[in-house]
Amino acid sequence: MTDFLNLILEPLQEVFLKFQDFLPNLLAMLVILLLGILLAKLLRFILVKFLHAIEFDNWSDRMGFTALMRKGDLWVKPSAVIGGVVFWILVIVTLMAGLGALNVAAIDTLVAQFFNYLPRVFSAAIILAVGYLFTSFISRAVLIAVANGGYHYARLLAEAMRVLLMLMILAMVMEQLQIATGIVLAAFSILFGGIVIALAIAFGVGGIDTARRIVEQQFAEEEAPKPPDDIEHL
Amino acid sequence: MDAVTLRADIHQQIEQIGHADIVVGIPSFNSAHTIAHVVRAVQAGLAKYFPEHKAVIINSDGGSVDGTMDVVHQTSIGDFETILLHHRIEPVLKLAFPYTGIPGKGSAFRAVFEVAQALDAKACVVVDSDLRSITPEWIELLLKPVLNGGFDYVAPLYHRHKFDGTITNSIVYPLTRALYGKRVRQPIGGDFGFSGKLAQFYLTKDVWETDVARFGIDIWMTTTALANGFRVAQSFLGAKIHDAKDPGTDLGNMLYQVVSATFQLMEDYDAKWLTVSGSQPVPTFGFEYTVGLEHVNVNSARMIALFREGVQNLREIWLGILGAGDLREVERLAALDDASFRFPLALWTRIIYDYALAFHRGQLSAGHLLKSLLPLYVGKTASFVMEVTPLEVHEAEAEIEKLCLEFESGKDYLCSQWK
Repeated sequence: MTDFLNLILEPLQEVFLKFQDFLPNLLAMLVILLLGILLAKLLRFILVKFLHAIEFDNWSDRMGFTALMRKGDLWVKPSAVIGGVVFWILVIVTLMAGLGALNVAAIDTLVAQFFNYLPRVFSAAIILAVGYLFTSFISRAVLIAVANGGYHYARLLAEAMRVLLMLMILAMVMEQLQIATGIVLAAFSILFGGIVIALAIAFGVGGIDTARRIVEQQFAEEEAPKPPDDIEHL
Repeated sequence: MDAVTLRADIHQQIEQIGHADIVVGIPSFNSAHTIAHVVRAVQAGLAKYFPEHKAVIINSDGGSVDGTMDVVHQTSIGDFETILLHHRIEPVLKLAFPYTGIPGKGSAFRAVFEVAQALDAKACVVVDSDLRSITPEWIELLLKPVLNGGFDYVAPLYHRHKFDGTITNSIVYPLTRALYGKRVRQPIGGDFGFSGKLAQFYLTKDVWETDVARFGIDIWMTTTALANGFRVAQSFLGAKIHDAKDPGTDLGNMLYQVVSATFQLMEDYDAKWLTVSGSQPVPTFGFEYTVGLEHVNVNSARMIALFREGVQNLREIWLGILGAGDLREVERLAALDDASFRFPLALWTRIIYDYALAFHRGQLSAGHLLKSLLPLYVGKTASFVMEVTPLEVHEAEAEIEKLCLEFESGKDYLCSQWK
């Protein structure tokens, strides 16, 4: 009977001992989580206050970020979004650090992988943010230059430029995140090549009449007598 | 950037000259075929009106490849009797050298200021190198108010064709007048007289790596003189006729450089202009007379077409700058037929003030912001041309006066929005 009881109690005792060993790790994880979340909340509060102080929301309005958020059905202030993003990044980092405190081999591997991947996420985010600003700047420059030149389709050209540049930047982001790099590269090449071929076909075959009209109109405009402008603007 | 006076060759020449009462600066770039007339007119003016003053002519050149500096050295009035002059007591000396720094008129002027400072000049004049209508009297009219009248800055007053000088007439003059309260009719005229004291003051300003070094120098000189309490006058010089403009000169860049310099000066001197209301005339010298001016061709239909292209393509940008109300007004204008196309003065005034505010707030990059003004400016110019075509010159001037009064009365809006 005693043997039988031992047979039952020993595993339980072993589990209890293991739990006893594990308990400090669990407590450490909970403490890390609690402190991490409190710290993340504090940092979010300070960051949002700071962003308000430097009028980040106004700047976002001017740079077009707010409009972009509204298009994505996001109706909070840009400063709140930045605060939220930073908060959740800190919570995830805290969670990973807490899980690391458990000293479980499988979780340790997962945590190590996560932290190894983190720099890629940051660089992808930077590429996306800088790329968006760059794209907006270039497409606006194209829009103004073409409109000031008096050409038609300025907006169309600027939008085409924006889409192409954003595609390129998204491909760079995906490559940085190592998400299906082969497929992204192939898709990007196909898409770019496709756009060029589509334009060639559109203008070369489908748009023959339109192209003829444009050329005829252009020549007609050139042939019409145009008095020169001799105004001295300064 | 080192001062031009520190260059060994120039330093040596300045040491040889020692001191000068008058410095006349002629900025140039590939002006070999026009500069000789300017140099002769300057020499004659100095000989005729300032025979007892030691004077130096400085040709500050932007790297001409057509021998402009050689022409300056070789040019002199052989026979002063042809200009009814029998002797000159002090000789006129000449210095010609390439300036350093950003290529542009501003860098050329800076070199002139530096030489004037090194020579401890009492008075200076700067005149363009492509002038065809300059006479010896210009030198008298630009220098005498400084040397004898105690003025520090003399702006030019020209008779120009009623279509010419549209950036001046529709932006720079009304804005400068409303801001600083002085009616300097040609704040970016290009030919100025100023005291040695003011030249030294200009050199204390750190602006030589900005747009001031390019087209912005003229408005910068005038505004700096006005905003810092220097005594300002203007002299009637007659007609301003100069060499045909360079067809490669881009209107967008020109507008950008002049307006950005004007707006930047608003940032620098807001404490001064925020307190100013109304305007006063400045003392005017010279005998006004009517001059015959060359015909100016204008294609207003093409200008209106460019304005309409702008309305079609730039409305999102303009919405952020002008607001929905004024954008609607602009769109209503674009819908009018060419014959009834008229730009309301109040709308134009608000547009310029809104652009100044957008520049102040950093709403867009300065380049994008001010280049997006071009279609509006072209529309305003077309409207002005059509309005004044049947009018006499003095009636066209009255239209500009109305615009100036609109800028003055609308200034409260600018002041209230400026934070």
